[in-house]
Amino acid sequence: MAEEARNRNSRTGRWADVRYMLHLFRQNPIVLAGAVISAASVIIALMSGLLVSSTYWNHITPGASLCWNNQLIDWHIANVFNCGGPVYPLGTDLYGRGLLQMIIVAIPVDLQIAFEVVASAMIIGTVLGGVAAYMGGVVDEIILRATDIFLAVPGILLAIVLLVVLGRTIPVLTTAVLITWWPFYVRLARSQVLSEKEKLYVERLKATGASGPRILFRHIIPNTIYPILIQGTLDIGAVILTVSALMFIGLTPDPKYPELGNLAKQGIQYIFTAPWMILFPGLTLLIISVGFNLLGDGIRDVFDPRLRR
Amino acid sequence: MKLIVYAIRRLLLMVLVLFGLSILIFYLTRGLLPPNFALAPYVTPRMDDAARLSIARSLDVATSSCPSYTAFVDQQAGCIVPLWGQYFKWLTNVLSGNWGYTLLPGIAGTDSTLHVFFSRFPYTVELALTGAFLAIAIGIPLGIVSATHNNRLPDHVARIFSLGGYSVPQFWFGAILQIVFVLYIRVNGVGLLPASGALSTTCTICFADPGTIGTFTGFPIIDALASGNIPYFWDALVALILPALTLAITSIGALSRIVRSSMMEALRQDYIILAQSKGLKDRLVVYKHALRNALLPAVTVAGLLTAYLLGGVVVIEIVFSWPGVGNTALVAAEVLDINFLELYVLVTAVIIVAINLGVDILYAKLDPRVTY
Repeated sequence: MAEEARNRNSRTGRWADVRYMLHLFRQNPIVLAGAVISAASVIIALMSGLLVSSTYWNHITPGASLCWNNQLIDWHIANVFNCGGPVYPLGTDLYGRGLLQMIIVAIPVDLQIAFEVVASAMIIGTVLGGVAAYMGGVVDEIILRATDIFLAVPGILLAIVLLVVLGRTIPVLTTAVLITWWPFYVRLARSQVLSEKEKLYVERLKATGASGPRILFRHIIPNTIYPILIQGTLDIGAVILTVSALMFIGLTPDPKYPELGNLAKQGIQYIFTAPWMILFPGLTLLIISVGFNLLGDGIRDVFDPRLRR
Repeated sequence: MKLIVYAIRRLLLMVLVLFGLSILIFYLTRGLLPPNFALAPYVTPRMDDAARLSIARSLDVATSSCPSYTAFVDQQAGCIVPLWGQYFKWLTNVLSGNWGYTLLPGIAGTDSTLHVFFSRFPYTVELALTGAFLAIAIGIPLGIVSATHNNRLPDHVARIFSLGGYSVPQFWFGAILQIVFVLYIRVNGVGLLPASGALSTTCTICFADPGTIGTFTGFPIIDALASGNIPYFWDALVALILPALTLAITSIGALSRIVRSSMMEALRQDYIILAQSKGLKDRLVVYKHALRNALLPAVTVAGLLTAYLLGGVVVIEIVFSWPGVGNTALVAAEVLDINFLELYVLVTAVIIVAINLGVDILYAKLDPRVTY
């Protein structure tokens, strides 16, 4: 009876906590804005195939290169071409592809790489960081020194070397960004687990004879996962920026590849004749990254009781 | 005394980390590419196969029992020295400064990789240092204003700036600056600021004919001052504005947020309340009592900031056609000039690790609570 009552109590307690958090989320316009922007970008990414044919990026429309026939914006540049024909609201690029369509095709590419990198980095980081903190000693030292090695090089340099040596493909790009990203999560998870493992309930579990892996993975890590998830949300934007920067400096599988950084790369060559080509892909990157950053910031504010007012 | 022990321990760890990194980068470049790529910086086009084979042997890539160069290129059994054997020869070569000839188009085979790298490196350092200066000069005040005016208009404005700063793609921000300052803000028919290069003479506030300077340090700004050439100095300084601002934008955002949160933490402490209640001026409390403690966490991110600036510089150099090593690295990547990339990675790593070490020791000096 008492057991049951306590269970019910803890359940209503947890539910009240969740409700209070949802209430805080609604109160916080920043989280709301972030959630709306990131949800919109994910929805566009999921619907991308319905909105624009997925092979659209491989089409070349002769005679429609570098067109601007949207009358709403006047660029005040002497040689802005109006190619007539169908209206491209965001202009066309060098190959005569509508920029709006290209951005819609490119968003899922960027988001997919970012989610893959962040999810893998979180898993690797949590496991390695948790093991390092929980076991301590030599294991801790080895894992920490390994992260030191990777943190001693700017990620973009390591990524350039990997892409040059292994070839410019999307899997290599994902791996290259991941290789520079996981050490941060190891550090984060390690510091979380270090403080958590000193708590009384861990001692109780040890006394009852629970095995080390069970204590770590079933009890300690679930209790320390929130800061890592928040960091993951914040990092989606940063990973997208890194990936697009790598594509921008030319490490792309195909010059026509639909990726926001690659679209911007085409644009920079025509920056003074067709500024829309760099303006809109970059703006899309900015909006997506602002969205995930706002969401992460807001979630952190809500979860961190010290910042609650 | 304890600090010295700590510093020595850290110095040894630093060597260990660099050693590990050299193994990593060696494996990534030599282990994953066919062995004949290792030869490229040391052979000339006119060399015959026998000469190439002897070079491969002297580099410890081909074994002494390897019958011919073609056998080596085909990676016949027993022809290739195991990777760890190659590594030690490579390490001694590299540490003695033998990086071979550059493979960069135009100057391939005529200049050593080491010389090419260090003649362009000052431009990159100059850009990174100016970026760091801007990040500190803008980021820290922004964070202070944000914390002291918590949840009022200045805080919201500063927040938007910092959020925008670390969310904006740097290459895009640079391009927008170019469009604005070169295409739209025009005075006397030329843009207000130069669009590209480390020394531009076509902008409103540049000198059209800066003349020449002698080479003393390789840093154009310092050399211009040393030669007493003020127009050249001015032009080089003006050319730095847009790239350095672009480079700094992300760090401004990150730094101002760190300063804001640590400043707010500091302002909540008891000693601040005491200082306020005994009637000290707000200015004094903020700048003398709170700021000193709030800047400590900002010092620790200096290492990450350096890593960020030295990495971010690659993208900025492409956007602004800056004649530094980042720009060259992309060309080196095109022609698979592995030695150049290795040199770049290792030099950058030495700088980052050294700065991290310096920061940690400085931290111990600044914060008497830290003990080792």
